[in-house]
Amino acid sequence: MAKFVVTATTVTMGGDDISTACARAELVINAAEVETTDFGSGGFTEVIGGLKSGTLSLDFHQDFGSGAVSTLFLDLVGTVVVFTLVAGNGTAAGTDTPLYTVSALITSFTPVSGAVGDLGTFSVSFPTTGAITYATS
Amino acid sequence: MADLTTIRVRLANNLATIPGLRSAAEIPDNPTPPIGVINLESVDYDGAMQGGLTTYSFVVTVIVGRAAEREMQRKLDSYCQPTGSQSVKLAIESDKTLSGEVYDLRVERSSGMGSITINDQNYLAAEFTVTVLA
Repeated sequence: MAKFVVTATTVTMGGDDISTACARAELVINAAEVETTDFGSGGFTEVIGGLKSGTLSLDFHQDFGSGAVSTLFLDLVGTVVVFTLVAGNGTAAGTDTPLYTVSALITSFTPVSGAVGDLGTFSVSFPTTGAITYATS
Repeated sequence: MADLTTIRVRLANNLATIPGLRSAAEIPDNPTPPIGVINLESVDYDGAMQGGLTTYSFVVTVIVGRAAEREMQRKLDSYCQPTGSQSVKLAIESDKTLSGEVYDLRVERSSGMGSITINDQNYLAAEFTVTVLA
């Protein structure tokens, strides 16, 4: 695998492929810092990894067509939806194109946005719930 | 996947709905005014993942006639109006999906009103910037 320019991350939501409406995709996996500093830490703080969490951020082009991305989001606020992302410009899981699967809580949706002359877009950022898994085959 | 030649032709078709204005999807050797010529200026690829959005920028040059004729200035004014039967913006935006070939289009501005020289003749012309999302 070489370095690459992002042009074709595959993104699905609830089984629907929404890649061609998506302009940016980002999945962040975090671990909480749990402090273990004590009198033996030599004047420095010490931490260990705590609970893991994730954030899924996506930018979309607004589209209210039948089955289009904005229509798919209409009734999903407050629900948990499974997203998959294939990185590395792939369309299926592979060693160079890992497939990430996350469940995310749809905490918000912005159906109306934009100034005159702008491309209609909306951005979302959701907390993940449960384990984030990845596969390479 | 939108076809660029089809986009050109359908832009020209929209433009030709203006009474008395010819249109050309490709640059003619000897344009006969009044005529609107569709020119592709740039293409921006990869606006979304997997080729989900391509942005085409066209410049439509409307040539009305000899620069010295006062009537031609008035005709050019009418083409530059945002509304009305002679409005280039209204005509091009009369079918904003070009019969389903593109997502959307917009005539953003008109500019460059003035004389241009074609085959040693001075003509009055204006340019219209059209953004097409496909």
